[in-house]
Amino acid sequence: MSEYYFDHAASAPRRDEVTEAMARWQHGVVGNPSGSHRAAREARRALEEARDEVAELVGSKPGGVIFTAGGTESCQLAIVGTAHRFRHTHERCEIVVSRIEHHAILDAAEMMAGDCDDVVVRYVEVDADGVVDLDSLRGLVNKDTAIVSVMAVNNETGVRQPLDGVNSVVRAIPGEALTHTDAVAAAPWLSLPVVTAAMDMVSICAHKIGGPVNSGALVVRHDAAIDPVTPGGGQERGRRGGTVDVAAAVGLAAALRITNAELTEVTDRVLDYQEKLTAAFSFLPGCVVTSAGAARVPGTVHATFEGLASDEILFLLDQSGVCASAAASCSSGATTQSHVLAAMGVAPQRARGSIRFSMGGETTDADVDALISILSSVIYRLHGEA
Amino acid sequence: MSGGVDSSTAAALLLEEGHEVVGATLKLWGGVSDSGCCSVADVEDARRVAQTLGIDHHVFNYTEEFERHVVAPFVEGHLAGQSPNPCIECNRHIKFDLLFERALRLGFDAVATGHHARVVEREGVHLLVRGADDRKDQSYVLGYLREDQLALLLLPIGHLTKGEVRGHAERLGLCTWDKPDSQDVCFIEASKGREVFLRQRATLTTASIVDVVTGERLGESAAAELMTVGQRRGVLAGRDGEKRYVSRVDLANRRVEVGRLEEILVTSLSFDERSLSFSHAELHDGATVLAQCSAHGRPIPATLRHDGSWRLELHAPARPVAAGQSVVLYRVDDPAVVVGAAIVSSA
Repeated sequence: MSEYYFDHAASAPRRDEVTEAMARWQHGVVGNPSGSHRAAREARRALEEARDEVAELVGSKPGGVIFTAGGTESCQLAIVGTAHRFRHTHERCEIVVSRIEHHAILDAAEMMAGDCDDVVVRYVEVDADGVVDLDSLRGLVNKDTAIVSVMAVNNETGVRQPLDGVNSVVRAIPGEALTHTDAVAAAPWLSLPVVTAAMDMVSICAHKIGGPVNSGALVVRHDAAIDPVTPGGGQERGRRGGTVDVAAAVGLAAALRITNAELTEVTDRVLDYQEKLTAAFSFLPGCVVTSAGAARVPGTVHATFEGLASDEILFLLDQSGVCASAAASCSSGATTQSHVLAAMGVAPQRARGSIRFSMGGETTDADVDALISILSSVIYRLHGEA
Repeated sequence: MSGGVDSSTAAALLLEEGHEVVGATLKLWGGVSDSGCCSVADVEDARRVAQTLGIDHHVFNYTEEFERHVVAPFVEGHLAGQSPNPCIECNRHIKFDLLFERALRLGFDAVATGHHARVVEREGVHLLVRGADDRKDQSYVLGYLREDQLALLLLPIGHLTKGEVRGHAERLGLCTWDKPDSQDVCFIEASKGREVFLRQRATLTTASIVDVVTGERLGESAAAELMTVGQRRGVLAGRDGEKRYVSRVDLANRRVEVGRLEEILVTSLSFDERSLSFSHAELHDGATVLAQCSAHGRPIPATLRHDGSWRLELHAPARPVAAGQSVVLYRVDDPAVVVGAAIVSSA
C-alpha cells in the first residue's frame, strides 16, 4: 500500500544530508568537547562550527546559541531559567503565556507556580482564529512580569502570531520582562532571523525540519540573563550543564542549512497544496477548515468535522495509508480535547472531530490528490453515505 | 486490549485462528491512576503485545464518555446511598455500546475481549455462558449484554483457565504473561481508596452507627456513603459481643443501622423496571432463576415476580443487597447460562 505522510508537524522525514553530516560523530572515538586533548579539540571544533552556523541561520551571536535536547527542553529552560533568575531580585514573579502554547510551555509555567508561592501564571487570550489578543496581553504585563512567552506559529492550527506586536506591547511597559517564542512549528516556514529580531529568546528543534530528535537550541539575546535548569558541569556558558551531543548539534545545523536553502521553493509549492486542500475540504459534509482566513504557515491544514470523532477518521485514513494526526494527543497515544481549540471557542462537539494534515518539502502533487480522494471517501463513509 | 494478560492472549488466539485482528486500547480515565486498565504503562504494554503479534494497534479516547456514563453516576450513586458497580456500567455504556458501534462503522465484523466468559450459539441463539475458570468467571459483569450484541462478540479465552491463559501468553512470548491481575476499580488509586476519591468530588456525611437490637449508639461513621447494606467490615460488635452487619443507611438522618445477621436477612429484592434486561427471551412472572448479586457471589434460587413492579422472591433468606448493585440472573436448569440482569432498587 502507498503511504501518504501528512504528519510533518509531528516529525518531518529525516534528510539524508543530515544523516551524512552526523555520521562522523556517531561512531568510534568522539571526544568530550570539554576536554583538552586532540580528540576533544576535534569535537569542540565541530561543535563550535555547528554553533556558528546555527547562529548565522537564526540571526544571533554564536554565544547566544544554547544547544539542548529538543524543543521541550529549550522551552523549559526559557521559562524556568528566566523565572528562577528573576526571583533573585523580585518579590513577585509573573509568567505570561498565551492560552494556545504547547504543553512544554504551559506545564513548565504551571510547575513553577505550583512549587513557588511567589510565582503566578497569567494567560493571554486569543481570538476566534487563534491569534493572540494584544489588548489582553497589554493588561497582563507589569513590573512583576519575568517572561512573556508567545509561540511564533501554533503547532495545531498553523496560525502565525504577531511577534512584533508582542514585542511592542512588552517594551512599552516599564519593567524587565524578557520575551520568548517557541518557534518549533515556525522553523520549517518562517525566516528565523526575523523571529529572533523580535524576541529575546527563541526555541527551535531539529526533528521538525528534517534533523534528529533530541536536538534543539534555545537562542538567547546576549544580555538576557537566565539560570541553568541543569546546573552541573558549566557547559554552554553555564546555562546548560551536561556533555553536549556533537552529532545532535551538527544535525541541527545541517537541517537548518537545508531548510533555509529550500525555503522559497518549498513555500511556493506547499502554499498551492494548502490552497487546494482548503478548497477541497470545504465541500466535505460538516467540515470547517480552521482559521482558513488567518495568516497560516503553508504546511498546515487543520479541519474539524462536525458529528465525527477524530479517532475514527484517523483509523480509516491509516487503513488507506494516510498518516495524519489529531494534533492534540497525550503520552498514551490517545487523542485528547485540544486546549488550543477550546481557547478559540470551538464547540466541543466540533473539536472532537479535528484532524491536522501537515506537509513539507517531500510532499508531492500526487500525495495531495490521494489525500483529497481518500479523505472524501472516509468522511462520506462515516456519515453513512458510502 | 487493556494491557493485561487476558486481552493479550485473546488477540493472539484470534490470530492463530486466522482472523484479521486490530488491537484497540480504550483510554477511559483522564485522572491519576495506579491500577486497572487506564494508565499509560498499561497502554504501552498493550502496544508492545500488538507489536509482538504484528498487528495494528490504536488507542481510542473515551475519557469524556467514561466520565459521563461511569464516573459521575458512580459518585452520584454513592451520594444517594447506593453502591453502583462501575465495571458493569463501563461494559454497558462504553465497551459494548460505543466501541461496538464504532467497530461496525469502521468495518469490523466482530469485537473480541479478554473476559472470562463464553458466547455459545444454540439453535441460532447466542447465549452468554460462564467462563471455564470458576474463580475468574466474569459473566456477572457482562450480564446486560443482549443477544444482538452477543452475536458480534468473540470471547477467545472463555474456555481456558487463568493458568492456561498465562501458559499461552508465555508460549507466544507476550510481555504480559506474568503481569498480576488487576483487582481494583481503574479510576480509584488503590493506595487511597474510594473515600479519598469521593472526597475530591463531594462532601461526605458523618453518621451515627446505631444498633437496632439494643437501640444503642455504637459509634460514628466518617463517611456513611461508603457503608454498604450487608457489610460487616468496619462495624463494631454489639455489646453482647456478637457481630453486627449494616442493615440500613439513612443519609438524610445521618444514621447507619446495624443488626445481627439473622435480623437483617432479606427474602426479596426489588428492582427498577427500566434497568431490567433480558439476554435473549423475555422472562415472565413466576420464572425460576438463579440470582447472583456480586461478581463472585453464590447464586441463590429465586422466583421472578411481576405484579405491578418487578421483584425477586428469594427461596432462602440472604444477606441484603445494596441499592445500585446489579443482580445477574442465570438459568436454573443450566446454571452457567445468563438470562438477564437488573439493578436492585431496594432489598
